[in-house]
Parts: sequence; C-alpha cells; structure tokens
Amino acid sequence: MKKAALGILGMLVIQLFAPAVASSGEPLPVDRAFAISASQGAGGSLSVEWKIAEGYYLYRDRIAARVPKGAALTVETPPGLVKDDPNFGPSEIYYRRAEAVLSNAGSAPIELTYQGCQENGICYAPETRLVDPATLTVSDPVPLRPPPVVNWETEGVSASPVEPGIEQATGTEGFELAADAGLIQSLRVEGGPLLVLAMFPLFGLLLAFTPCVFPMYPILAGALAREGDRLTAGRGFILSAIYVTALALAFALLGAAAGWSGQNLQMVLQSPLTAGILAIVFVVLALSMFGLFELQLPAAWTSWVTTRTGGMGGSKRSAALLGFSSVLIVGPCVTAPLAGALLYIAQTGDVVLGAAALFGLGIGKGLPLIVLGTLGGSALPRAGAWMEGVKRVFGFGFLATAIWMATPLLPARLDLFLWAVLLIAAASFAFTVKWRSGTALATGRAVGGVALIYGAILMVGAASGATDPLKPLATLADRGPAVSGAKQLDFAEVESAPDLKAKLASANGKATLVYFTADWCVTCHTIERSVLRDDSVRRGLAGFQLIKADLTDFDQDNAALMTQLRVAGPPTMLFFDANAREAAGTRLVGDVTVGSLTRSASQLDGY
Amino acid sequence: MMNRRGILKAVAAGSAIAALPVPTLAQSFPTVEEVLFDPAIPVIGNPDGDITVAEYFDYQCPFCKRGHKELMEIVRADGNVRLVMKDWPIFGAVSVHASSLVLASGESYEKALNALMATPGRLGKEEVDSVLSESGLDPSGLLAAFKSDQARIDGILARNMDQANAFGFGGTPAFIIGIRIYHGAMDRKALEAAIATARES
Repeated sequence: MKKAALGILGMLVIQLFAPAVASSGEPLPVDRAFAISASQGAGGSLSVEWKIAEGYYLYRDRIAARVPKGAALTVETPPGLVKDDPNFGPSEIYYRRAEAVLSNAGSAPIELTYQGCQENGICYAPETRLVDPATLTVSDPVPLRPPPVVNWETEGVSASPVEPGIEQATGTEGFELAADAGLIQSLRVEGGPLLVLAMFPLFGLLLAFTPCVFPMYPILAGALAREGDRLTAGRGFILSAIYVTALALAFALLGAAAGWSGQNLQMVLQSPLTAGILAIVFVVLALSMFGLFELQLPAAWTSWVTTRTGGMGGSKRSAALLGFSSVLIVGPCVTAPLAGALLYIAQTGDVVLGAAALFGLGIGKGLPLIVLGTLGGSALPRAGAWMEGVKRVFGFGFLATAIWMATPLLPARLDLFLWAVLLIAAASFAFTVKWRSGTALATGRAVGGVALIYGAILMVGAASGATDPLKPLATLADRGPAVSGAKQLDFAEVESAPDLKAKLASANGKATLVYFTADWCVTCHTIERSVLRDDSVRRGLAGFQLIKADLTDFDQDNAALMTQLRVAGPPTMLFFDANAREAAGTRLVGDVTVGSLTRSASQLDGY
Repeated sequence: MMNRRGILKAVAAGSAIAALPVPTLAQSFPTVEEVLFDPAIPVIGNPDGDITVAEYFDYQCPFCKRGHKELMEIVRADGNVRLVMKDWPIFGAVSVHASSLVLASGESYEKALNALMATPGRLGKEEVDSVLSESGLDPSGLLAAFKSDQARIDGILARNMDQANAFGFGGTPAFIIGIRIYHGAMDRKALEAAIATARES
C-alpha cells in the first residue's frame, strides 16, 4: 500500500516538476549562455573566447567582425563540430567553448557579432558587441528595450529573459531559482482545489512514520492508558479521533497564521522556550504516570471549558487539549507539503485553501494514531497492578520524549548522561517488577539487561566525551569519525543573502549545494548522522561547493535569505549550477535520503 | 522579486487575468491588434478561431522547424485556433530570402511554409529555392511576386522584428498564445496546455 502510494506520489511529483516548456528549460540570458571575454593573442592579435553553457552552442559561420559601421574584418576560427545529426544542416557548431582570433585588430574598437542556440529551446538573435583591443573590454548588451507595459502576460514565474527588467534583476541578484509552480498551485492546475484536499491527507499518511510524528504515539498511548478500565475500542477510537482532529486543527490555524503573517512558524515553535516548556510538561506527565500525583487541570479552566463544550467528558477534553498542543512537536518538522502550503498562503494570500490543505495533512499524519488508539483500546490490559505497570512504561516513554525535546538546550554531553540514567532506571524497574508469567519475566529481564548494559556504555561514553548516543564509544575507539575512502564533507557557512551571492559568484565552475539546517531541527540531525555520512553521497557531492545556512540563531539576515530562496525552513537543500541557477526539480525539502540526495546531485553532474 | 513572483503566480492561477494595472508608457509598444491581427499576414487554421497562436520564427532555426508539424496537427485537430506565423529572420540573408518568397506565395502560402519548415537545419539560398520547386512552386516566379509586393512584405518583417524587440524576445521560436508569452520551443503537451489556459481566461 505504501509502495503504491509512493508510486502515485512519485508520478505526481514528476509531473509537477516537468517544466511547461520543452525539456530544455528556460533559455538563459545570452551572456550566461555565451560568456564572452577578450585577451591579447600572439603577435598583437586579439583573441575572443566564449564559454558556452551546457546545452548551448554557437554557430561558426555566424561569428563575424567589422569596423563599426564599416568594412568586415577577417576572423579566424577553428573548425567546429559538424554533427551527423541532420538537424544541424551544413553548418559547424561549437559546444562548451569557442574562440575567434583577429590577427590585425588594430587599436580601434571592433564590432563583433555572434549567434547560437539553446538545444531544443531557442535560437538567439545575433548578438553584437564592441570589443576594445586596447583595454580588452567587451561592451554590455545593447541597451535594453522599453519594458512591456501592455497587458501581455509573462509566462509563469520564470526568470527567463521575458522582461528586460526581470533579466536585469536576476543578473544582479546573483542567483536564479528554478521555476516550480509550487505544490498546491500545481495540484490546483491539475485537478482543482478538490485534488489539493484529496492529496494532502495522502501526503500526511506517507509522513506519518517519520521521526517528527513518533512522539505522538507515546502521548496518545499515555492518554489512553490513563483511561484504565473505561477504555474500549469505541472509546479508544473516539479519543484518538478527537486528539488527531485537534492536532490537525491546530496545525491549520498555526499554518494559516504563520503563512499569512509572514512569520516563520518553525522558528517560533522551536524556540528554546517552547522546547523547554514541552520538556517540563513531559516530565510532569511522566511523574503523574509514576503515580506521584493525579494530574488535574486547574478547576477554573475545566469548568470554563465544560460550560462551553456542553459537558464533554473530561477525557475527551484532555484529548483535545493534548492534540492541540501536540502541534508544537509536529509543526516544526518541515516537509515538502508543509513548505508548499506555507509558501502558497504567503504568496497568494489564499488562507482558506492553504489551511484546509494543512488540516488534511494533519489528519493524514494522525490516521495511524487513530488505528493505534482503536486497536489499543481493545488490546490494552485492564485494571489492577497491571495497569500500574503499563502506566510506568509510558512514564519512561514520556521521560524519553522530554530528554529528546530538551537535547538542543542541553550541553553536548548531558543528554548522553540523561539517556544513561533513564536506561538504568528503566532497567531497575524491569528487574523489580513482579512479572506474571515465566515468559514475561524472561522478556522483562532481557529488556532490562540490555537497557542496563547500554545505559552503562552511554555513561562511559558521556564520561569520555562522546556526544552521539548512537556511537557512545567512538572517542575511545580513537579512529576518527569516518573510515571510508570518500572525503569528509565540509560545509562553508553563509549567514545572509549577500554572503551566498558572493559564494555563488566565486564557485569557479562548480555546482553548489545550499543546505538549510538548525540545531533544533530533528530531521536535520538524522540527515547529518546518516545521509551525509553515506559513501555514495560523499562521492556524489565531491565536485560541489558545499554551503550551509544555519538557522539556529534566527535573525533578519537569514530570514531574508530564506525569503529570497523561497525556503520554508530546515531541512531544505537547493542545488545551483555553475551559473548560479537552481536546477529544476532538484530541491529537497524535509525528506532527504541517500537516494534523493544523490539523484538531485547527479542532475548537476554535467557542470 | 518575491512579490513579483507572487503576483505572477496569482496571475498564473487565473485570478487576475488581464487586470494588471497598465501604466501608459512606451507609445511604440505593440497592441493585441498589431500582434495577433496583422492584416498583411495570412492566417492558418480557423480564421474565426477563439484563440490565436502567434509564433515568431526563422526558417533556419532548427527547433522552430522540429515542432512545426506538431503545431500544425494541433491547429488542425483543435479546429478553433487561428495560427499566425510571424517571420523574424534572425539568421541573415538566406532567412530573409525564404521569408520573402513564402510571404509572396499567395494562395500557396501554407504549402510553401510547410515545405521549408520540413527542412532540418541551416539553409543556403539555393536550397530554399530547390525545396520550394520540389513542392511544385516556382522560386523565380515567387521572387518576381515578392518584388512587386515588396512594400507589404518588408513591412511585415519590420513590424515583426520591432515587436520581437519590444517584447524582449531573446530569439526564435517565441510564442504568444492568447495574450501570454512563451519563450523557446514548445512540445505538444505544452502547446495544448497553453491553449487550454488561454481558453480559461
């Protein structure tokens, strides 16, 4: 089922990102297609060189020079390529590089004309430039024409030389984004708002098993476990449905507010304050699971809610509250659909469709939770000492969530230490509890034993300076972080748009990967731990200029950078070719895997 | 930039078609009438069609020619499209020669156009003539017809070039479908989608 759904999604994405024009993409401004420069040749001659972009070519017989408004000059050009392909007729062409030599150039400016095409795209009108043999300067393109002012529409969002105004803007701006219509927009065009509303729950379902959604499971399970005796399949269904609906609703509201106000949702939700409060909430929840006290909302709140909800049961109310606040955990996880919805709201102001899409996304993410709630409702053991045991297990789950939430706020080694303490505590719980059967006893002890050993290892790791809970002994093994032939990936940091532009401008013919990350971005940690350390990824990115934009300290500069690059939040990866143009369909948002990363990287290999 | 993209997206979404505020600048800027309804240029397809497709092209531009057959098929199959081929000779004298002869071919306009558009790449003057005679036309007769009608044909070429420059087209092909501008070659899917978009607005 998941495979089939992924297939559908894949097809859809391919369709979405297929450019409206033929496969060649938007034509480059002529100076990026054919970058011209002049130099002094041997014996007082003048040499002109073109660097030709991938997929473009110049015609040999269309290179000509003359004295301005005067006699033609002899131009020497090397033989070009005569393709067997009949498309090229009798003429010779140059790929990648072309050169022309004017042996008796003199010292007065020369009028140079040249012409070429974009493969499968357009053939440029002849380009004429003044080349000064003395200063070796090449004039700018002929003065721009007046901007179009009639109601002629330009095509989509492309940064093609449609309007001279735009062309110039992108030229000085330092980079060019791929013309993607955006997820919602494309779905709308494809099948109207209904398709948007149908697809987003599906996207949600596909994202339901990602790390961001995991904390929901213990939360919901904990809420259900507190029901004790009263819990049935029906009640489990109702409670989990309420929980999920509240979550989706909060998701939609937050998305609408964030997208509409232009504020950054993730930044707010991932502030240390939010994370800290959440961690404390989970500790409190855990303590209540351990039976230290009965968790009650202040009476004034509950009565306020009760009078307004017509006496909805206390459990339902708390399920709704829990769901509503759980958005603080799911919300910050940037995924392609979330980014798409936020950008859509920000750009079109269409809050209704954007928020409805987000609501659908939330429902989709919660569907497995409802299944779990319903099944768990009939499967969870009831009553007595048993219930107490189950509650404690969830207590440990809550404590684990608390540590996980607090990790970014803690000094590097402290989280390792806390994990160790938690594991050892869980182990002692497993050893002391009175197990009902022999099998349970064996299982409990086995789990407890493993927890104890790993806890001890973590403790040693923490003491020896390790920071990665999955590799606590790496520092002791003393063999460096990596043992592969491929080079370690080194990211240079940028903090603002001008920074990035400078980096792109000095890429020296390299393609560039820009990676948006932040300490608080959970998915980013996963990417850095597994994806970026993968050998094939390192090989695939070997020829790239690697740039990292760290959003941990969020300020106006990186906010502006995000806006200019149309990035909704971390993790997002953008791929620019050597000409600072984003390659269409390569952008990765949220879900970065070894496969998707190498695929995107390989699309820029030709550069 | 961001705002501009936003606006363009909104336009693409069909929410603000043709309602952009139009400042009165550049008096020389082409109007819909001048671009899509130039009376001097023969119309292909359905003269009363609800949508006009205009293509700025050159007889030596390989990508203009590669898509031509498909374009003609779409126009024929749709039945409600006006096609206006706007000669914009950017490949020099041979292209001007080809455009001049075809525009002088009167009743045989479509035949002459299709014959030259069926060639693959760059052309010589002799090649143009031989392709035309192979399809049953008389190049020297066409040249004579051009000479006697030169003012009209030169006028077409001049107007087309002015418009292309005013639009800021980088080269050929460039399409105008409805009132929307498209750069570069378009395949069948892109053309059909563009025609559908034009109908929606």
